[in-house]
Amino acid sequence: MVKHENFKTCAQSGFCKRNRAYGDTALSSSNWAAPYSLDPASVKFEKGILTGTVSKTIANTGEAVRLPLTVAFYESGTARVTIDEERRQKGEIELRHNSKAKKQRYNEAEKWAIVGGTTVSTGAATSKAAEKGTTKIVYGPASKFEAVIRHTPFGVEFKRDGETQVKLNDRGLLNMEHWRPKVDKPAPEKKEGEEEKKEGEEAVVVESDKEIAEDDGTWWDESFGGNTDSKPRGPEAVALDIEFPGYEHVYGAAEHAGPLSLKETRGGDGKYSEPYRLYNSDVFEYEMDSPMTLYGAIPFMQAQKKDSTVGVFWLNAAETWIDITKTTTSANPLSFGIGSSVTTQTHWISEAGLLDVFVFLGPKPQDVIGAYTELTGYTQLPQQFAIAYHQCRWNYVTDEDVRDVDRKFDKHRIPYDVIWLDIEYTEGKKYFTWDPMTFPDPLGMNKQLDEHERKLVAIIDPHIKNKGNYPIVEELKSKDLAVHNKDDNIYEGWCWPGSSYWIDCFSPKGREWWKGLFRYDKFRGTMKNVFIWNDMNEPSVFNGPETTMPKDNLHHDHWEHRDVHNINGMTLVNATFDALLARDKVEDKHHVRPFVLTRSFYSGSQRLGAMWTGDNQAAWPHLEASIPMLLSMGVSGFPFAGADVGGFFGNPSKELLTRWYQAGAFYPFFRGHAHIDTRRREPYLAGEPYTQIITQALRLRYALLPAWYTAFHEASVSGAPIIRPNYYVHPGDEKGFGIDDQFYLGSYGLLAKPVTKEGQEGQDIYLADKEKYYDYFDFWTYEGPGTVNVAAPLDTIPFLMQGGHIIPRRDRPRRSSGLMRYDPFTLVVVLGNSGDAEGTLYLDDGESFDFQEGGYIHRRFSYASSTSTLMSEDLAAAAGKKTKEYLKQMEKVRVEKVIIVGAPAAWKGKGEVEVSEEQSGKISAARKVSLDWHDKEDGKAAWAVVRDPGVQIGSGWKIAFA
Amino acid sequence: MKAVVALLCLHCAAIAHAANGESPRPRGVGPEFAKFYKDPSTFTCISNPSTKLPVKHLNDDYCDCPDGSDEPGTAACAHLSHLSPHTPADVSNAEANSTLALPGFYCKNKGHIPTYIPFTNVNDGICDYEVCCDGSEEWEHVGGVRCEDRCQQIGKEWKKVDEARQKSLGNAGRKRKELVNEAKRRRKEVEDRLMTLGTEIEGSELKVKQLENELSEVERREKGKVVKSGEQKVGKMGILVGLAQQRTNELRETLERTKQERDASRTRLQELEVLLTTFKEEYNPNFNDEGVKRAVRAWEDYAARDKGPEPDAAHDRDLDAMVKSDKDNGLDWEQYQDGDDNEADVSYTFVSYLPSFARSWVDQKLRDFRVTLIDSGILADNSRSSGSESKSITDAKNRLEAARKDLETQKKSVDEHDSDLQKNWGPDDVFRSLKGQCISTDSGEYTYELCFLEKTTQKSKKGGGGQTNMGNYDRIEMITVDEEVPADGKGLGTGERWALKYENGQHCWNGPNRATTVVLGCAEVSEIWKIREEEKCIYRLEVGTPAVCVGDGAAVGGPGGSGKDEL
Repeated sequence: MVKHENFKTCAQSGFCKRNRAYGDTALSSSNWAAPYSLDPASVKFEKGILTGTVSKTIANTGEAVRLPLTVAFYESGTARVTIDEERRQKGEIELRHNSKAKKQRYNEAEKWAIVGGTTVSTGAATSKAAEKGTTKIVYGPASKFEAVIRHTPFGVEFKRDGETQVKLNDRGLLNMEHWRPKVDKPAPEKKEGEEEKKEGEEAVVVESDKEIAEDDGTWWDESFGGNTDSKPRGPEAVALDIEFPGYEHVYGAAEHAGPLSLKETRGGDGKYSEPYRLYNSDVFEYEMDSPMTLYGAIPFMQAQKKDSTVGVFWLNAAETWIDITKTTTSANPLSFGIGSSVTTQTHWISEAGLLDVFVFLGPKPQDVIGAYTELTGYTQLPQQFAIAYHQCRWNYVTDEDVRDVDRKFDKHRIPYDVIWLDIEYTEGKKYFTWDPMTFPDPLGMNKQLDEHERKLVAIIDPHIKNKGNYPIVEELKSKDLAVHNKDDNIYEGWCWPGSSYWIDCFSPKGREWWKGLFRYDKFRGTMKNVFIWNDMNEPSVFNGPETTMPKDNLHHDHWEHRDVHNINGMTLVNATFDALLARDKVEDKHHVRPFVLTRSFYSGSQRLGAMWTGDNQAAWPHLEASIPMLLSMGVSGFPFAGADVGGFFGNPSKELLTRWYQAGAFYPFFRGHAHIDTRRREPYLAGEPYTQIITQALRLRYALLPAWYTAFHEASVSGAPIIRPNYYVHPGDEKGFGIDDQFYLGSYGLLAKPVTKEGQEGQDIYLADKEKYYDYFDFWTYEGPGTVNVAAPLDTIPFLMQGGHIIPRRDRPRRSSGLMRYDPFTLVVVLGNSGDAEGTLYLDDGESFDFQEGGYIHRRFSYASSTSTLMSEDLAAAAGKKTKEYLKQMEKVRVEKVIIVGAPAAWKGKGEVEVSEEQSGKISAARKVSLDWHDKEDGKAAWAVVRDPGVQIGSGWKIAFA
Repeated sequence: MKAVVALLCLHCAAIAHAANGESPRPRGVGPEFAKFYKDPSTFTCISNPSTKLPVKHLNDDYCDCPDGSDEPGTAACAHLSHLSPHTPADVSNAEANSTLALPGFYCKNKGHIPTYIPFTNVNDGICDYEVCCDGSEEWEHVGGVRCEDRCQQIGKEWKKVDEARQKSLGNAGRKRKELVNEAKRRRKEVEDRLMTLGTEIEGSELKVKQLENELSEVERREKGKVVKSGEQKVGKMGILVGLAQQRTNELRETLERTKQERDASRTRLQELEVLLTTFKEEYNPNFNDEGVKRAVRAWEDYAARDKGPEPDAAHDRDLDAMVKSDKDNGLDWEQYQDGDDNEADVSYTFVSYLPSFARSWVDQKLRDFRVTLIDSGILADNSRSSGSESKSITDAKNRLEAARKDLETQKKSVDEHDSDLQKNWGPDDVFRSLKGQCISTDSGEYTYELCFLEKTTQKSKKGGGGQTNMGNYDRIEMITVDEEVPADGKGLGTGERWALKYENGQHCWNGPNRATTVVLGCAEVSEIWKIREEEKCIYRLEVGTPAVCVGDGAAVGGPGGSGKDEL
């Protein structure tokens, strides 16, 4: 059970409570006037950027607080609204407690999160057609977008094709808590003499403060769980309401254990009463269906209505809460719901930092995700091993244990690529060391793994053991590279090793030092096949407030931990990623791509590796929840995501374990993991029939690796999700917007709905479109749209192929993915209603950066019913330095088999097809190759097989069926 | 892999025969399957004779036969396995039996032992020398891999090791004989002892009877004496009673105080236990604070231990009764101090008023008290002639007691020896000679010790921490194993093996009581080969011992008794 008392509710988090109350006051009074207005005289528009000053009027004094506004319009069609606070910006504030904290609002989040897409639009222009009291900017592709900025009260409406899609501050909940000095309350009993007058003056101020009924109880100091936050800058929250008119569904705001389509948060039947919270935390035994915060934060939200997707990205690294409410509006009061639409309203509240929000106007899901990932970066193209199967456990206890597990997988003919070591491999939890008793020969172990192209992933956490005779901590201290406490001394906390210090990866020197620690001669016992797992990087601090660092801790450049908390985890992974790049010698030509797994993350972490959903449990609801959670990660620009297969805590039943492997075979990041107190559960231990069924699931994953790798490549250039929810694939199908228990793999029309309930033997699958779907395993034919029932006994994964796609596979089972490198391909051509099909294949060496120099194969396969021809075309960009070498290396790799599912009846008795190949620019003479056609049977589709067309995977060819 | 080797050895003759000038077999075909590949024009799938192919489809790296028999030399049919996902298009004939007809790719391994390697390993770019020393499975040289023939070297090394192993196994066989002889000797010892015990028991029974008679005689004699001497001791009785009363009061007070102290401690203990129980439930096991974890572990061990007797309400009632005043217990001291009743019997009388539980206790205390008095000269030592019990009665009683005890011990011994003879001591009773023998080895941070048929223990090398009991010997079982046998022969192999089960060791934090399965393989010297924690606190030791070797050196199999499956 999660310990709720360890984590704050909104009411326990001062700024959240204040802003919820502020919002409630605003919404409940009929004459609410938001006290923010844009001075029209201050507005300037130059080269795609609008600037101006918003002023906040303080009710009782009439004093105006100046808030500099910037609205930037980017080439991509993305708009960005930024509001700062002039007084803090200029540093004209006083800090309490002699704090050394930085005075500004945190303005470096973009330094970590944003890597591109900020080219300012040259086409954006002010419109003369603006209504009075507004400023209008026309921008975006074909100038179809508009931003209408209302001056008083300040607010922005974003339109596409003249229709409003996103509204900022429409409800007037914008709130920037300006800086103010702390005024001590008068003593209850006034003393005689001189002091009286002085105190009396203060009393007046206090009283007038009270007139506006603001709750100042949490402005200055806040205590929770025995820890007091000194808040040297006082109240400094930022909040804004963002409305999506006509949009019923919103997605994103990862990471939470709940449905993909986010729920309302202001109470009511089946709704949450707490806002979604983003404050990266090590939540022990987290619960299902909850808006509670988890390990990572992606403050990016998409809204979906029929044929339209829009989104916002709230760039803020501080603790953030998001309230969501929905209202139904009826177009015609007499129409009783017909023509009514639902509007989603959101209220974003952050503790500190700038107000910095990006607005994406779509209209397709991929347009929004693409624009967001253009800003925050695309997922790294991982090494191929990283998307194969990972075997983990806390802990494999000795190097011999690791070798034994490695041999056992081979013995049982179960493929796997990576074995993992949790914290126990270290000597007394000192990272970068090996326990000499249990891991006397790490290199020997790594070499054995390398014999079959397998890898080791070892854990390295950010807490450094505070103990003498440990050179790493000595250096950390002497170089002053650790996070500081509020008094600017080294911060000491408690984690796995006991008393520990935390590396501050915000510091350039700290990162540089960290980089050096992973060199093979420093982290002895590692070699090229060793990669890294960064855990506990929220950071998890066992004795800290909410199991993390005090907010008034100080990082590099004196930013408070409060300012940077949600980014903290990413900075560690960033440093580790760079370290893995740096550990090979410069002259070593074959640099391999780093692999880092992280538990904590922020927008942008997708560039650096994979994430997993942390410490789940061996229970059916956790298996079930893993799917919406991973779908949510997918549409949040971080698709390389997985959940611990089998469940971390507790012992899964064999049925659960088996079903979990069947689901896990569809996790982009596929790793079995288990807690130290659980029984061993490597697949070969399950016994029959379970081991056999699990092995089939693993081999299915391996056979489909070409499709997975292609999907990862697509993600690495467009940000597209790897497993895709129904709304993403069918944005016009409103009925599917809430579906989050089935998904498509890449662009292949492969539709899976793993069984996640005990004893379930059949699965209802929702088919969104009028198309044929075939069972992957027996070619049973289903016809959409509608819901179909697919049999799913324990040995079967409900898995369909949508008509119209071509799926690349490699069917030969091998010990690891590296050993499949030269295996031939099978192409599965799935013919649907149109009779046409297409699919792509991306292929490279799966480990190096040669692909950046053209060392890759990228083909498009298409079957046209009009010509009855299957062909392979090149999708590769112009050849690079490594192109020739790679093609040469792959020239013997052929297509061994073409399977056509839903084969035309006309092929009956055909027996042969003609194959012609492109060789050095010429088309070779046609060869005849045999075709084996099978008629449909019961409900199963007709299928045909082209026997060994023998065409090269890397070159152009054509197979004529007519 | 070894199983394959074994299988092949049966065909050694066939290999030799094949080498003598038959037409070359297709790549990857073992000699026993050669007959299927003789037709020069057509190939008939081995398990699916209805499927016939032109021979050019043999080893063309495309899987045609539902049983994969057309691809003995490639990996093209490697997916034909119940371990792979399947679709109708795997093979041309979806209804056919699609189990692989061949055991794998045949490596000739000239200079060493021919063997089969799984098809999944063919042309995957890895030289699997430990199976295919001639490197012939990588004939396609994918990615430029070249696997040179290492059979000469590997074969030579193997032969050397094998000879040593055979020799060692031969020795092991002899050693086993010694063990069996030793076991026989020990069994004989037990049987002999049983015989002796029979005689001894007869003697003891007789002796007991005699002593019983003697005791009743002495008692009869002494009764009169007591009465007589009692009459002589008038006067001193008053003093004695006074002292006894004082002493009893002291005892009662002490008892009362002790009881209060006990109750207070018990309350505190309960409080503490509740505290620790809550602590254990509420602490966060994921936050691996070593101090906390150690404390919880210690608490777990403590909680799992036998707690000693539960507070017994009846016992407490007795105690309450005892600490009441003597009057309430029906004892009026005054009556004895002033009266001239039969003072000598006071102690008995007094005792008879007490609750039965307290009676013997008070009786004993009084006896001790009396001795104290005597020792301090307050009371004359008249026990010889009078008092609660005369020396002669005590002596007679003691003698009888001793004789009875002897008899009991002998009977117990008979039971023990009987059950010893009934017990399963393994084949030929051989484990009898291992009992109590201990062997140990270091592994990781622990030293493990196995005492055959006694217990297994683990001791941390990291200093601190005593021995942890990993289980006490419980029984012998047969279990099925499937393990690799390294070249030195120190491995279990495949098949049925004897296993010693050790259960109910020290309780494991967050887990069960520790238990160990000791699986035995044949070896010349008793030795722990491998230690594995299969599950939390459930251990498996693979152990070599000559005890399970059969004549030719292989491990003793199950009831069938065959070790052939190991080598």
